[in-house]
Amino acid sequence: MSTLLTYISVNNGKIKRSSLEVLSRCTQEANKLGFKSAALIIDENATQYSSQLGSYGLTKVYTVEGPSFKNHLNTPVLKALSAVMNRVKPKVMAFASTEGSKDILGALAANQGIPALPDMSEFEVTDTGVKGKRPVMAAKIISNVEAEGDSVIISVRSGSYDLINLPSEPEVESVEVDVGEDETKSILKEIITASGDRVDLSEADVVVAAGRGVKDEEGQNLISELARLLNAGIGASRALTESGAYDPSLQIGQTGKVVSPQLYIAVGISGAIQHVAGITNSKVIVAINKDPDAPIFDIADYGIVGDLYKVLPPFIEELKKIKGE
Amino acid sequence: MKFYVCIKQVPDVSAPLQIKDGQLIQDNDRMILNAYDASAVEEALVLTEKHGGEVEVVLIGPEKASETIRKALAMGAHRGTHILITEKQKIDSAVYARILASYFSDKEYDFIACGKQAQDTDSGLTGSMLAEHLKIPYVTNAVGLDYENHHLTVKRQGDIGQEMIELPAPGVVTCSNDMNEPRIPSLKGIMQSKRKEVNTLTPDELGMKMEDVEIKTRILGFEEKPGRKPGKKLEGDPDKIARKTAHLLDEEAGVL
Ligand SMILES: Cc1cc2nc3c(=O)[nH]c(=O)nc-3n(C[C@H](O)[C@H](O)[C@H](O)COP(=O)(O)OP(=O)(O)OC[C@H]3O[C@@H](n4cnc5c(N)ncnc54)[C@H](O)[C@@H]3O)c2cc1C
Ligand SMILES: Nc1ncnc2c1ncn2[C@@H]1O[C@H](COP(=O)(O)O)[C@@H](O)[C@H]1O
Repeated sequence: MSTLLTYISVNNGKIKRSSLEVLSRCTQEANKLGFKSAALIIDENATQYSSQLGSYGLTKVYTVEGPSFKNHLNTPVLKALSAVMNRVKPKVMAFASTEGSKDILGALAANQGIPALPDMSEFEVTDTGVKGKRPVMAAKIISNVEAEGDSVIISVRSGSYDLINLPSEPEVESVEVDVGEDETKSILKEIITASGDRVDLSEADVVVAAGRGVKDEEGQNLISELARLLNAGIGASRALTESGAYDPSLQIGQTGKVVSPQLYIAVGISGAIQHVAGITNSKVIVAINKDPDAPIFDIADYGIVGDLYKVLPPFIEELKKIKGE
Repeated sequence: MKFYVCIKQVPDVSAPLQIKDGQLIQDNDRMILNAYDASAVEEALVLTEKHGGEVEVVLIGPEKASETIRKALAMGAHRGTHILITEKQKIDSAVYARILASYFSDKEYDFIACGKQAQDTDSGLTGSMLAEHLKIPYVTNAVGLDYENHHLTVKRQGDIGQEMIELPAPGVVTCSNDMNEPRIPSLKGIMQSKRKEVNTLTPDELGMKMEDVEIKTRILGFEEKPGRKPGKKLEGDPDKIARKTAHLLDEEAGVL
């Protein structure tokens, strides 16, 4: 029986929600077509996460474990993925679209000699492969795409699917992969993590994003205060990651991250297409901008035309009242 | 140091796009050098200016795309190779990577730089596919590069932070536009570019019969993005509209 295999990304000791979204979709597709849905975890302590996969209708969880997988480096991960794929021969190998999966998708496809469809917003499994939709041209339009093959690799944008709740007791199978040290030619020297214990942007329910309109420390303090109040992740436009005001990991958009929160608040952001490319999966968009013609207002559900330094203090104060703070 | 940079000509995504009968109508006058590739060219130029060496750009595209090679030469790249295909061939990243791999199979180089993605397809596959075909190491999504003793120190933007990775030569690196501001060609650069050598080849000459190449992914058509409509726009006294919006988020949108 064919298998739809989902790669489970782990970040900071937590399974990424975006992986569970893809997993949920794969299980639904598998059930529709009479295939099996399985998951794959490649991590230093992969087995420890398998118990968190009991409600996604899985038949099997494959794990690959070892110190080589402590940090992301493409050579060992590719080796593990190829080994598991050679063994399972999945009809679909699915990933959440993250920097980690973007790093290996192409090499894995070339290694396996199979097609890849990256960054999809919708997909379905067909007799001949996979078809679905991908945002292209800085996510301005949708292209309908199709890949043909006995096995197809895909990655899926965060926020594209809801989580399911389908209890099952998957069998856990550990796969041994020998990662020869000499094969790992590129060497990880250092990890420079974003400072502080921030909410993972791509999974945050609320995102407060700062743009060039946020000019100084006073503005940044207002952003932090709003984010704290709403338990939000802080994001930024390229203007402010480039200037060094915010950590580059916080950039949202075509170059940066795709977010899919319930509430996205853009503060002093003009709404350039490359920024908007990362936010259109948000449920509700609020924009605060002093220029009534800023393009961000074309996609905002609630637009506040005004100076952010005058708007944010009463906005924060009123939200505190509503939240009973 | 020999640096190759793979560059693609893409439509300017900030130009208006039109879809007709599922097809994308592209304005042929608004084709540009992929922004991520421009950053790759810039970085290769900076490194070779500092450490010595040469930058060669390689482009696969129709006749018209030669203007994009000229653009890179005007920025300062030393020479170019144009692998000519016809406009009609619907090639995906996998096939581009194959053609590039056959081109590089008999070349000597320290590093090949690609963009992290092409702005039109947003695929981000070609670089790592190429590295896998050539069986050399690679690093993606570079936001900073440094060179020392036959290796690059690559600052890579990962999911939660940056990683510093040492990449030995020969290797492939894919570049983000977050690492530099590509230079604007000077008049002198533009004049000089006209005299620089551009070598034109066909896939056939590289031993690839395009008729026999299997293209495994296909674009069936394009459609408009389900549009977000502008919602309520509040203007006036900042205090009033700020407080009003807070209540709308709570009572109307229900997202608090
Ligand atoms: C290939 C490529 C990829 C890119 N990728 C990204 C990406 O991933 N993410 C990204 O964000 N950008 C990206 N960009 C850059 C993008 O094109 C814009 O330059 C950038 O998003 C602008 O940031 P901004 O809106 O903060 O600044 P600006 O465009 O300068 O806008 C600032 C806004 O703040 C408003 N403002 C100023 N003062 C105030 C005030 N006191 N109160 C209220 N409003 C105020 C102004 O009216 C203006 O609308 C990319 C560009 C390219 C070419
Ligand atoms: N036609 C092409 N000619 C030369 N390089 C290309 C071509 N297509 C893609 N590339 C390179 O591969 C990168 C990623 O492309 P893609 O996989 O399509 O997103 C680009 O930024 C270029 O560096």
